[in-house]
Amino acid sequence: MVEWRQLKPLEWCKYVNKKVKVTAQEKHQYDGWVFTVDPVSASIVLVTVQEKGGTATVRVVTGHAVLEVEVLQEGSEETACWLRDVFTPPGGRILSPEDLRCRKESLRLWLEKNRIPVEEEGETLRVANVLTVSAPYGAGNCSSSNEIILARVQCVIESNPGLALQEPDNS
Amino acid sequence: MRNPVSVLRLPRGPDPNSRGFDPNSPRFLALCPTSISSSTGSGSDPVQMGEEQCARSALREGFLRALVAMTNKPVQFDMYERVKVHATFGSSDIDVLNFQVSDLHTPIGVQKEALLRCQDVILYSFDL
Repeated sequence: MVEWRQLKPLEWCKYVNKKVKVTAQEKHQYDGWVFTVDPVSASIVLVTVQEKGGTATVRVVTGHAVLEVEVLQEGSEETACWLRDVFTPPGGRILSPEDLRCRKESLRLWLEKNRIPVEEEGETLRVANVLTVSAPYGAGNCSSSNEIILARVQCVIESNPGLALQEPDNS
Repeated sequence: MRNPVSVLRLPRGPDPNSRGFDPNSPRFLALCPTSISSSTGSGSDPVQMGEEQCARSALREGFLRALVAMTNKPVQFDMYERVKVHATFGSSDIDVLNFQVSDLHTPIGVQKEALLRCQDVILYSFDL
């Protein structure tokens, strides 16, 4: 096998979402599902689930210690979703298309009420032609090259009373 | 409660001449050649370069998420010579060469704050 660290990112990608057995220095062997491979250090992030309890254990084998990687099992769409969810920070929730539409509408009306020109462009809102707001339409989802407008619009979004009623307690 | 250990040696500070993430710095060249590996030179097709860069950023994003998940959690480090220590993970540097940890349990006692060299670590593990 070509040295693990010499592989290119596209080759590392081929191991993601697969169950592998990693042979490392000093005769260590570890197996698990590959979540990712760090392109900077070539470290392999493996996830395993305990049989009882269901807690996930994450083990990272440092790139310089990897001797061989053997694929044991291919992953599926289900394992890919599960791996993504494992690392999603708690509190992050998936919004349904309905919720997204409500939020977009609520934001659009609030901006119009504040006399800020806004247009809908598919999934994004275009504000005054210089700023775009993408899902989920929060203050952190604004994108603009103009700092002043960005700051102003973020203030307006944060003061939207409609959104405060919709959101559950996100503390 | 294990005995706390007084600071034995302060870590060396950052290189005053470098500008942080410098691919030409001696430290980087000596320890981190892989992060500049890419399809360079002949046959560097722009489409492939684009795909490679997308792959690189997706992989790195995943790794950063894993590091964030590890923050402030108890982590076990398996190092060379069958050395196993555990500590509370603090942060990593950009090249993943050093880990800053707290409450490092070592055979001689508990080090309140420490820097671990990633080159000495084979595996690090934690529970989510």
